[in-house]
Amino acid sequence: MAKVLMIDPGKCISCRTCELACVFKHDKEFRPSAARVNVVQFEKEGISVPLMCLQCETAACLKVCPTGALKKNAATGALEVADDRCIRCKMCINACPFGNATFDAVKNRVLRCDLCGGDPQCAKFCPGGAITYVEATSGTLAKKRAYAAKFKDALEVAK
Amino acid sequence: MGGQLLKSLRSWGYKEVIRLKVKFFALLRDITRVKETVDFTGGTVLELLENLCSHYGKRLAEWIFAPSVVGKKKELSGNVIILVNGRAIEHLAGIETPLKQDDEVAIFPRMAGG
Amino acid sequence: MYGWVGQVLRINLTNGTIKKEALDQAEAGKYLGARGLGTRLWIKEVGPTVDALSAENNLIFMTGPLTGTLATNGGRYNVVCKSPLTGAMAASNSGGYWGPELKYAGYDGIIFEGKAEKPVYVWINDDQVEIRCAEHLWGKDVIETTDTLRAETDFDAKVACIGPAGENLVKFACIVNDYTRAAGRSGVGAVMGFKNLKAVVVKGTGAVRVADPDGFLEALTKAREMVRSHPVTGTGLGLYGTGILINILDQSGGLPVNNFRDSGTFPNADATSGETLAKTYLVRNKGCMGCAIGCGRIVNVPDGPFKGFGEGPEYEAQWSLGADCGVDNLAAIVRANNYCNELGLDPISMGATIACAFELFEIGAISEKETGRAIRFGDAEAMVELTRQTAYREGFGNELAEGSYRLASKFGHPELSMSVKKQELPAYDPRGLQGLGLNYATSNRGGCHVRGYMTSPEILGIPEKLDNLATEGKAGWTKTFQDLTAAVDSSGICLFLTFAIGAPEVAAQLSTATGVECTADDVLKIGERIWNMERLFNLANGFTKDDDTLPPRLLKEPMKVGPLKGVVNKLSEMLPEYYKVRGWDEDGRPTPEKLEELGL
Repeated sequence: MAKVLMIDPGKCISCRTCELACVFKHDKEFRPSAARVNVVQFEKEGISVPLMCLQCETAACLKVCPTGALKKNAATGALEVADDRCIRCKMCINACPFGNATFDAVKNRVLRCDLCGGDPQCAKFCPGGAITYVEATSGTLAKKRAYAAKFKDALEVAK
Repeated sequence: MGGQLLKSLRSWGYKEVIRLKVKFFALLRDITRVKETVDFTGGTVLELLENLCSHYGKRLAEWIFAPSVVGKKKELSGNVIILVNGRAIEHLAGIETPLKQDDEVAIFPRMAGG
Repeated sequence: MYGWVGQVLRINLTNGTIKKEALDQAEAGKYLGARGLGTRLWIKEVGPTVDALSAENNLIFMTGPLTGTLATNGGRYNVVCKSPLTGAMAASNSGGYWGPELKYAGYDGIIFEGKAEKPVYVWINDDQVEIRCAEHLWGKDVIETTDTLRAETDFDAKVACIGPAGENLVKFACIVNDYTRAAGRSGVGAVMGFKNLKAVVVKGTGAVRVADPDGFLEALTKAREMVRSHPVTGTGLGLYGTGILINILDQSGGLPVNNFRDSGTFPNADATSGETLAKTYLVRNKGCMGCAIGCGRIVNVPDGPFKGFGEGPEYEAQWSLGADCGVDNLAAIVRANNYCNELGLDPISMGATIACAFELFEIGAISEKETGRAIRFGDAEAMVELTRQTAYREGFGNELAEGSYRLASKFGHPELSMSVKKQELPAYDPRGLQGLGLNYATSNRGGCHVRGYMTSPEILGIPEKLDNLATEGKAGWTKTFQDLTAAVDSSGICLFLTFAIGAPEVAAQLSTATGVECTADDVLKIGERIWNMERLFNLANGFTKDDDTLPPRLLKEPMKVGPLKGVVNKLSEMLPEYYKVRGWDEDGRPTPEKLEELGL
């Protein structure tokens, strides 16, 4: 079964390690402005949210791509851009409702998460477990477990 | 008790009951669920630690002791700082440090800051 | 260039000129960056005897070759200038995101010369650099300044600025970047304020490249694994922050209390500890760029007189605004620490100066005539209010703004300033940590723990346990800690990593990043070179071996309570040996042979 990237902003320490790991994997240099994952910071509230493409099943970007440059990688489930077919029309960037595809003006290309071919570096390097790459069964969903634990605690108290 | 009698009693395995204050810090508090306790063990730091571990369970033992090796003496894990009356046991007699009435023992996970 | 980005900005605030200069590669190889290279560039261009508050005192922001990379915690930069507090070289270290952003904009550092006629800020947007009017920002606190500047420039821009304390030339004003991270010590904010420079705003979209990407990845992955699996950096610091130390120091008898007068044990220490903070006001952890630890504390006091949201306090502030002032009200400590962040004050010197004032009041050296009200140890409300007043030099705050040494001297009791070279001591009583006392006395920037963190072996047993009361062998240990720290600071990485990694791991990351081969021994040698360079500056500036000392209280007054009752610091047993292991003469001057060996 395919794995999915899960984000848990409650655990994000705002270190942007994911951005550095991402761009280094793809470009062998440290240029966070070309990272495919971004940590959106709300400094006044002390909250940070890591965001990247979560690979929609019926993706708006895929629908609007006029050249077929976007293709789903059967092994990983990631939508990948074929740079040689992409005409830089930026329709995909406009179509994505989450802002998770961006354009890199320096290297003239569309940036989007490709799950690093099945070994996403953001999840690998995340120190706090805010980004994880897991089998998408209910048993592994940390949120469900955390919430279930509250029920457990309540029942224990009631005992 | 007279000196001679005490000596004989000790040789038969008797231990005086003494009162110690033991304080736990940081993560160890999550295991013990108390910040401090009173213990009535006599003897040494090692005996106190064994007593605490039998009371608070395996999780505390895993913090304090290194995985045991058959035929070898019990050793500390290196993950805890143990103070007897404010002095680290390294500078006393290690885990063989004798304890006496009203001693204060503080146990920390080995952590740091700055 | 690799590691370094190869360019330095030179901005003259007097005549408004902006120049881009190539980074001197030879100097970068010898001094790395940040603290080392910044100090080298300062010394090269400015004479040691210039007044700290004069246009001639260059203000240098400098990153290191590992800043902005995935190296273990490469979020750091240094601010270098002559300190108005100490007269020694100030090199203040800060984290956050500002330093990396400067490199992404294409600069290893910025040299500010001269003094602007009116308040200005500098806006660096990749290769476009401009000096802009900041009159509308003058008087505003750090949060409002940062918000306003991001609205005026770019929402993603990073801001380093001063608050009212820096504008008002408070001798221990800091420079705050990214809202809450500070180049805290030695009054670098006052120098920025003197120059009428309110802020430096940066946005960068470029890259930091490394010489050997595969080798670098291997080196940093290994170092990160060590950090992750080490009990201190892997769990402890993240869970409890640096405040974990309050109870450890208290139980060991090394927590200074009431201006070091009642050191030994603080009755309600646990109420001000990292454990209590984690249970009460902690919202979540925060890390700087590329951090694998997350020691930062986002805190919220939901109600009451000290209500407020902010970041911190960390251990030193938890103590300086807490036990050192006799205050055990954690909410008040958080509030005062928030003031320090918002108004731009160094919380160590702030708390320690208030503690000094409390003692001056209690012995009758000052009275309500000066202070306006009774101020005594334990008065949380007074501590918070005096912090605010200091930033604005309001009322008695005007005296506090000069730091404890000038305050205590003015009222006839210089011995009550718990400082070395006029900079306030941090949160470890050197009577209980003999080696740390030696480090305090010999620190090139005055009272400071992060020049050679002897607490690590003396209390925490990392890398091995030394007897905190012994003096033997401490000279050699102190030298090694000081040298390694100088190199780590100059690399652009966080000092906390050294709980888990050592010189070999720093060397491996430096070599693969810069392409300049460097061994563990080289790292220590670079550190030693930097240390000796700083020492030479201090000597040229009139400091002598007589300044390598501790406040008389710590040498003569035995601790009154706690497990170390009766103990004093035996500095004289360690100092001659320290000079010897450093290769200095009996007066603490580097010998010609030592200087030649270090290429100075």
